[in-house]
Amino acid sequence: MGTAQILFWSLTALALISAIMVLVSKNPVYSVLWLIVVFFAISGHYILLNAQFLAIVNLIVYAGAIMVLFLFVIMLMNLNTETEPQKSIWMKFFGVVAGGLLLSFFISFVISSADLKGKSAQLKEGEIGLIKTLGKALFNDYVIPFEIASILFLSAMVGAVVIGKKD
Amino acid sequence: MTEQQLMALLPFMVLAAASIVIILLIAFRQGHTVIQVTGFLLMCLVIFAMWYVRGVLPQTIAPLLIVDGFGALFTGLIVFCVLVVGLFSYIYFEEREENPREYYILIFLSTLGAAILTISRHFMSFFIGLELLSISLYALIAYLRTRNNAIEAGIKYLVLAALTSAFLLFGMALIYMETGSMDFAVIAQRLNAAGKSSALFLTGFGVMMVAVGFKLALVPFHLWAADVYQGAPSPVASFIATVSKVGVFAVFLRFCQELHLQNNSAVMMLISAVAILSMISGNILALRQQNLKRLLAYSSIAHFGYLLVAFLPGNNTGVEAAVFYLTAYAITILAAFGIIILLSPGEKDADSLSMYRGLFWDKPFMAIVLTVALLSLAGIPLTAGFIGKFYVLTAGVEQRAWLPVIVLVITSVIGLYYYLRIISTIFADSPVTIQKERSLNQFFYTASYAALVVLTLLLFGIGVMPAVIIQGIKQFLVIDR
Amino acid sequence: MHQTLSLIPALPLAGFLILSLLGRRLPNRLVALIGAGVISAAAIIAIWLGISFLQAPPDSGAYSVELWRWMSVANFNCSFSLHVDALSLVFVFVITFVGALIHIYSAGFMKHDRDYARFFASMNLFVCAMLLLVMADNLVLLYLGWEGVGLCSYLLIGFWYETTANVQAANKAFYITRVGDTAMAIGFFLLFRELGTLDIPAIQKLAPEHFTSGSPIITAIALLLLAGGMGKSAQVPLQTWLPDAMAGPSPVSALIHAATMVTAGVYLVARMHVLFQLSPLVMSITAVIGALTLFIAGCSAMVQTDIKRILAYSTISQVGYMFLALGVGAWSAGVFHFFTHAFFKALLFLAAGAVIESLHHEHGIFKMGGLKNKMPLVFYTFLAGAAALAALPLITAGFFSKDQVLWYALSANGGNPLLWIVALLGAFITAFYTTRLMLVVFWGTEKTHVGELPGRLMTLPLVILAILSICAGFIEWPHNMLHITLFSDLVQKVLPPVVEAEPVPSEALFQLIAVVATFSGVFVGYLLYRKNTSIIESWKQTPAMVWLRDFFYTGWKFDELYNILFVRPFVFITQLNKQDVIDKIYAGIVSLFQRLNGIFSVSQDGSVRTYVIGVLIGIIFILALQLIL
Repeated sequence: MGTAQILFWSLTALALISAIMVLVSKNPVYSVLWLIVVFFAISGHYILLNAQFLAIVNLIVYAGAIMVLFLFVIMLMNLNTETEPQKSIWMKFFGVVAGGLLLSFFISFVISSADLKGKSAQLKEGEIGLIKTLGKALFNDYVIPFEIASILFLSAMVGAVVIGKKD
Repeated sequence: MTEQQLMALLPFMVLAAASIVIILLIAFRQGHTVIQVTGFLLMCLVIFAMWYVRGVLPQTIAPLLIVDGFGALFTGLIVFCVLVVGLFSYIYFEEREENPREYYILIFLSTLGAAILTISRHFMSFFIGLELLSISLYALIAYLRTRNNAIEAGIKYLVLAALTSAFLLFGMALIYMETGSMDFAVIAQRLNAAGKSSALFLTGFGVMMVAVGFKLALVPFHLWAADVYQGAPSPVASFIATVSKVGVFAVFLRFCQELHLQNNSAVMMLISAVAILSMISGNILALRQQNLKRLLAYSSIAHFGYLLVAFLPGNNTGVEAAVFYLTAYAITILAAFGIIILLSPGEKDADSLSMYRGLFWDKPFMAIVLTVALLSLAGIPLTAGFIGKFYVLTAGVEQRAWLPVIVLVITSVIGLYYYLRIISTIFADSPVTIQKERSLNQFFYTASYAALVVLTLLLFGIGVMPAVIIQGIKQFLVIDR
Repeated sequence: MHQTLSLIPALPLAGFLILSLLGRRLPNRLVALIGAGVISAAAIIAIWLGISFLQAPPDSGAYSVELWRWMSVANFNCSFSLHVDALSLVFVFVITFVGALIHIYSAGFMKHDRDYARFFASMNLFVCAMLLLVMADNLVLLYLGWEGVGLCSYLLIGFWYETTANVQAANKAFYITRVGDTAMAIGFFLLFRELGTLDIPAIQKLAPEHFTSGSPIITAIALLLLAGGMGKSAQVPLQTWLPDAMAGPSPVSALIHAATMVTAGVYLVARMHVLFQLSPLVMSITAVIGALTLFIAGCSAMVQTDIKRILAYSTISQVGYMFLALGVGAWSAGVFHFFTHAFFKALLFLAAGAVIESLHHEHGIFKMGGLKNKMPLVFYTFLAGAAALAALPLITAGFFSKDQVLWYALSANGGNPLLWIVALLGAFITAFYTTRLMLVVFWGTEKTHVGELPGRLMTLPLVILAILSICAGFIEWPHNMLHITLFSDLVQKVLPPVVEAEPVPSEALFQLIAVVATFSGVFVGYLLYRKNTSIIESWKQTPAMVWLRDFFYTGWKFDELYNILFVRPFVFITQLNKQDVIDKIYAGIVSLFQRLNGIFSVSQDGSVRTYVIGVLIGIIFILALQLIL
């Protein structure tokens, strides 16, 4: 087992454990903090895949901007355990069963497709995540979706203005 | 990108530019009327652009888009719907005295989203188009913020749409994992080369179905429909019922056509199960509904169930039937919502059935248009709805999809009950007069009435002479082959 | 050419639409102008069409034009075309021409009615439906016209709906013809199942190949179609509605219940002659029914006292002659009798209407009398019609057609002496009651004061029809007299020529017998009602004769029979089923779905959490489904 693999497994374990912690934490602020840990772990994976740019963007956008926004909202709303609406025991039971089934289905499907075995991610070899490759792809092949994506942001912006503005 | 490719995209660019024009108009503090008229002209410009570029079709813009007859057909339908919705919107928003100007930007943006769906041949454009459509819709649904249900409906739509979009991405990822491509054609190739379809692909498709089912309001992803239709402003509800669904259906249809999924028994089983569930639940939920907008939502669930029956065969008849059905359905639902919009008093929408009691004696014109629309929804002969349903049935029978066909027939009969219930309410005596003063410029009322007349005539025209439309559809569909 | 063809039914339709939508707001003069104008225009087009048809017959033997292709999905094709061949042409001509005259007459006749526009709207609709019936190229369109004329007949019988009896008469007509219509529809279904098409030309082509002659299925089909024709044409045993249908205004009786609609059965049988020829049994049944009808109705006509009821029974009887002719295979003779009958019977009804109107709505013939001098024009025209009805030889149209029917009843392949004797008896009876009618109404002393005389609008159609009642027969002479066979030449382009059994000796002899029968009928009538009225007085003392008169008067007690056979058992059953047992099933279905609705509605609780769970269940459902497959 090389360094890369050790890193991979530990990052994976970290990601999974923190994801579970996001769910089980009673305090929403803790959940958000755990989520940031998840993002860091994922960014680690990106670096392992030689996608430094994506790793950085992931950190800046998600862990940086979005999570801070989350924290603000949660703090402003002053959420804590007492204000959390009471869910019935049935609802919880149902949720667990549904989620469990879903998970087991996905796992069984992924495992059952035989040719996945023996395939592994190519560490440190891909070039997709590099800023140069990305830039070329975005402004050559995918220029139209890139433009459309900008329109998408426009629509989000207008929407936010409409909903948020004072009369 | 070649000149021709650019030209083929002209209608879509006009559509995108239209929203910018509106933003500029707002920036220069133009009034609602100016914006409305400009918007109308811009939509006409889009139609003109479509007519103008007809010569260069089909045109593939690798790797994401293909502008062909199929896309032009659906885009045309979408633009037509938006034209009508836009016309009705003026009166609706003007009477509500809220600032309606940004509404038009959002309408144009989400129309662009739907239009991109119709020409996409790649997961990436599929997703971006879908998101463009949805994000504009979140704001549109919640547009009348002061209303009780508006924000609630918007949030519901947002949460569920986000959830299902995640599933969509996940499904796409699974298919990508299996085939190594996001291009419909390449996926089809790889799947063909692999022989039988793998479990991974099926899972991916199943997960994608969640998002498609959500947008088309198919059971079991239909739960939002009634709440959103009720909470959204009526023009937006009609927009969701027509434009959004047409766009999503178009891309779904293209995906399945490209992959020849009609030969895949597992997928067909899945789709027919969803169709059957939708037909049954939609009709049963509508049975005792007292709110017209909710009722139309339930009826749309059932109608898209019917549509999936046409979709099952997957051959040319199926595509024709689906397009025809969508056209007939869009016209019908626009006429119905047009009446709701025109009847709505300022403070709330005219959605309670009790407001329609004896409508005929009070406003015979509106009553007749609504009756015709309902008859068409119910599929009574000589209306467009009948031909659509008949066409769908023929397509289903040809493929010997007996179970869905039988369910279609039975549930149509159930459907008749609630449509006729409304009609009997409309013609009941002791009318309730809806007090509504016409404060606005007479011109816009005249235009809206004219639009309703045109829609009604179309309903009859298609019902009496469907051959013309069917011929047109066939001509368009030939372009991409 | 093609466009003008579709104009013929389109004009009346346009008239109907205009009058029914705007009629109340238009002045009466304009209403009449539109109502009668469109029919007259249609008649002119029809005549022009007929002339060009005669001059240069189309290659296919018919003008046809596709009106409307509704849809063409896969191998299902639904289109409507008009198809006018020689047979249709005769009917179209009669419908539009006689229809136009009757409309003109109505403009004067109905002028005091406050529902002037409604009357003309219904009449126009009727003409449109009737034209569709005879011009249809497939049975579906024919059925549309068939039901259309039924509907108009219903509307017009009950035109004066304030009187309950009129409404009941309309209902009766509707119900009884419905029996025939249902049978006919079943016949169409069977036909479609067998041949896979309802196109008339296709049926004519396929039927001889598909069916073996006399097979049960073709017999069943022909019988069902015949039943349809019997209902509409008031043949025994479905004849009881027609006398009551006289409740409508006289022009209605003239147009619908004499000249055109009641002969729809004749048209149907002639149009479907291919099917009937394949079933000799049904042909015989047709002939027997025709013979029975003409006799039964003739007997009833002898004793009626209401002028219109006499004419109604006489119509039934004359249509019986047509069925007899069709049944023995004398197709063109049947259609020819329709042709002449349309003129003289329309004339008689219109003239009767004029009489009734002038006598302040008096219907009873024994309250009339002495009108010969008071209303000379009506008298002479009525006389012409009556002479044609009685078939006075050589000078009336009725003679030429009836003579053919009588002759073929004996000599044609399907004919036999018994049929001939009944038909002969019918001729005698016809002559008798016609004489009775004439003598009682126009001779004798004046019993009711004559009011306003009919105006020019009403007399002009009478005169034209009177001329036609006399002359229309000259286009077709008996073989042994003159070789003029214009009419049969025309219709035999479509209908097969009559097959004579074996050369029967001396056609002239039998013609002479028929003439003698006619004249003896006239003579007996003269004897009883003019010369020696005491005979009738003495009969009134004899119980047997009184019973017989009563029996005839009530139309052979058919109404009572049906009352016992159908109405009472039906009332009994409905009383048994007061609780509506069968409805329980439907109520059960309804409550099942209402309950289902309740259950399904639970999912719509408005909480996003529930909705998300719904989505999750959905995806689990989808994945599970794929796991199973």
